Amino acid sequence: MATKSVTLRVEGMSCASCVATIEGAVGNTPGVSKASVNLAAGKLQVAYDPSRVGIQEIAGSVAGVGYEVVPEEVSLNVSGMSCVSCAETIEGALKSFPGVSKALVNFAAGLAKVQYFSDLTSLAEMKETIKGLGYEASEKLEGAALMDREREARQREIRKQGNWMLVAWPLSFVIMLGTFREYWIFPRFVPEFLADRLVLFLLTTPVILGPALQFFKNSFNGLRRGVTDMNLLYATGIGAAYLIGVVNTFWPDAGFGGEKAVFFESAALLTAFIILGRWLEALTRGRTSEAIRRLMALQPKVARVIRGGQEIELPADEVVAEDIVLVRPGERIPVDGLVIEGYSAVDESMLTGESLPVEKKSGDEVIGGTMNKTGAFKFRATKVGKETALAQIIRLVEDAQASKAPIQKLADWVAGHFILGVHILALTVFLFWFFAGYGLFFDPASRFLLTPNQLGAIGVFGFSILLSITVLVISCPCAVGMATPSAMMAGTGKGAEHGVLFKGADAIEATSKLQAIIFDKTGTLTRGEPSVTDVIGTNGFRQEDVLELAAIAEKNSEHPLGEAIFGGAREYGLIVPDADSFEAIPGHGVVARYRDQSILLGNRKLMVEREIHIEPLLGKAEALEDDGKTAMFLAVEGKAAGLIAVADTVKEHSKEAVSLLKKLGLEVIMITGDNRRTGQAIARQVGIDRLLAEVLPHDKAAEVKKLQSEGKKVAMVGDGINDAPALAQSDVGMAIGSGTDVAKETGHVILIKEDLRDVVVALEVAKATMRKVKQNLFWAFAYNTASIPIGAGLFYPFFKLVVSPELAALLMAVSSVTVTLNTLLLKRFSPSIKRGEQKAEPLLGEFAQVPSVK
Amino acid sequence: MARSEDRVATRSAFTYTGTSLGLTLAFFIASGLVGSYPLAARTGGAIWVFILSMIVTMPLITSYFKKKVQG
Repeated sequence: MATKSVTLRVEGMSCASCVATIEGAVGNTPGVSKASVNLAAGKLQVAYDPSRVGIQEIAGSVAGVGYEVVPEEVSLNVSGMSCVSCAETIEGALKSFPGVSKALVNFAAGLAKVQYFSDLTSLAEMKETIKGLGYEASEKLEGAALMDREREARQREIRKQGNWMLVAWPLSFVIMLGTFREYWIFPRFVPEFLADRLVLFLLTTPVILGPALQFFKNSFNGLRRGVTDMNLLYATGIGAAYLIGVVNTFWPDAGFGGEKAVFFESAALLTAFIILGRWLEALTRGRTSEAIRRLMALQPKVARVIRGGQEIELPADEVVAEDIVLVRPGERIPVDGLVIEGYSAVDESMLTGESLPVEKKSGDEVIGGTMNKTGAFKFRATKVGKETALAQIIRLVEDAQASKAPIQKLADWVAGHFILGVHILALTVFLFWFFAGYGLFFDPASRFLLTPNQLGAIGVFGFSILLSITVLVISCPCAVGMATPSAMMAGTGKGAEHGVLFKGADAIEATSKLQAIIFDKTGTLTRGEPSVTDVIGTNGFRQEDVLELAAIAEKNSEHPLGEAIFGGAREYGLIVPDADSFEAIPGHGVVARYRDQSILLGNRKLMVEREIHIEPLLGKAEALEDDGKTAMFLAVEGKAAGLIAVADTVKEHSKEAVSLLKKLGLEVIMITGDNRRTGQAIARQVGIDRLLAEVLPHDKAAEVKKLQSEGKKVAMVGDGINDAPALAQSDVGMAIGSGTDVAKETGHVILIKEDLRDVVVALEVAKATMRKVKQNLFWAFAYNTASIPIGAGLFYPFFKLVVSPELAALLMAVSSVTVTLNTLLLKRFSPSIKRGEQKAEPLLGEFAQVPSVK
Repeated sequence: MARSEDRVATRSAFTYTGTSLGLTLAFFIASGLVGSYPLAARTGGAIWVFILSMIVTMPLITSYFKKKVQG
């Protein structure tokens, strides 16, 4: 039977070694061919043979090593049930689905609660089945429920470790006082009985049986399935320290170091520090994925819909396409749609990064989740549920956060093989100090680092096992494992905040390495539609007259140039009356009559044919054409009246974006299918030096390939549809101005807005994220590289100092928390254009918006 | 399927326990031959060597046998 693939949400993972544990446990389950875990996203991807293993068994393997597979949960409002047996029928039908792990139908509440794996059974299938049985089912608020559940799970972990800290820390503190009672000022206030070994045993035992028990349980479960994890390091460390303490308490003459080597404080403090580390990690780790939670929080819960002429309030997920939705000032827009009535300004910053509210009038598109500011309006719902822009963005960001960057491979390999390596190292360290090191270097006056406690009469076994335990504890690769995914999560979130969606961690890494950027011309650097750029009057005609008369002639034209002239006149504030008559002359222009005047508007050919004297205007026309513009002559009553130039104009921020990219050291290239002269005109305007002109759409990918063969990392910025092959060929394809339909876009990076400066934002976010990744990896590897030799006693022969297991635990906790905190600094990052360092320069002066009249 | 799993578990348990006991015995004998270690230290050391050997060999040998059975 064919292999199936499923993605499961896993809870309880705290560090990179958990990844190896789960991958090992699930990978060793018969019937599973591949298991891959993403720590940051908390997701497990499994390829398995359904004829040999089921989801429940896979979930069992995960549970066996101390983690939990969390199915998706949905609450369905079920109507039409008349008795308890209806509920039982529905429950039975739901349970028969292969992906449903639990189904509970409550007749009284009219509610079905289902736990299921969406990769195997879809919600639609379940609803369909319920409908088939003669009932109606509608979904309750899933996004919010999911968010709550995630938050709850994190809170549960924080609470759990917090509670264990309340046990571990006070007891450890008292145990420490008892152990060091003879030192410093302690004899003055620490009662003598606290130093009694039996009292220390009684105080330590609750720490071992309470907070530390999780490590023993989880490591035992892991070992049974043939996997080793961090818990095993902790369990062997804590267990060995505690057992030696017990032996030396009850049988001090057994020869394990005697009554001076009870190590109870090591066992207790080790537990306390490890729990502190886990608590801090749970506290900080959730914050790196705040972006997704913030996006989910945007989903409004309630919508006001007009149905049957009546205004009704209903859950937002029950709005269907074509519903008329009413939005008042200060309310969030529940779903995507088109405004049909009213006027308002909508704050779309949370989705697009656009800081100014966007005006909305009839015919404009509104996005679900955005905030209505000033007026009330009605809109027709076009996209609902999982089709909305917000749902698509959330899904995209989630997928990106779940992906692994190439740079993570090394960290994963290290973290995955570390545990076994550390145990081999611990064994080697023990054997070295037992057979050679102790006899050669041991000094009874030597001390633990940062404590006054002397090692004294510790025997060869006690000393060797102490260093062996320290190696186990100090070597935790948590920081190495967290370094990349935590920064990637923060980076993708930061990008989303500014309307830049990275489709994966690999996209961030590739973006940070870019050396050249190719911009498509039409629709990317330019607006993609012609508009009036120049108006010149002659023979007593003012520019306003020329524009007005040309607009009158073109008012009923369907030609793009005619539409541009008519649009230009309207933008300039002119009221354009209808022509009395109008005739289009294909390939030449138009002839019209207005108030007994004949108007001719067209190219040279038309003017020559009608014997119009245009020589005085020819020089200016050629100059305009040199700039890539299309010049049209206007003649009134057989006399030349002026010139109008129409061209595709560059977008507002194109020049600034190109200049910023050049400052970042990138080579900027323009690619176009147009002729070289037109291309050069636009390239000149935006400041691009290298032009690839007359390239047919299907040859664009070949041009990208050619640049890549020069050894450059190339990005292609295009509209995502026409440029799909080139976007796919490039190292990073950036689809710009996708608006709300992000799921359809080709490309590795999606820029929601039309603003080309977002290319700069994407680069800056990617570079900042990779900087963070590198810093994190540096600190994590530096910690392990430095700490392991110290823990193993490499410097003991010179300094006579050893690191105690509890100090090792503290250092380990500090390393992983340092990495997470360093990642959190990325939250302060702001792209340069948002910091106001660069200000937009209008390209064509006022003509960029409204035609200027010369 | 369950029977083959049991067979894997038994074979791997015998192998890793045997290997660990072998290493432990080697440690115990070596510590008797080299130097003059107290019996308690030798015993304690042997126990620690056994624990660490089990931890190292258990996952390696279990997954080796599982892979062998699964082909």
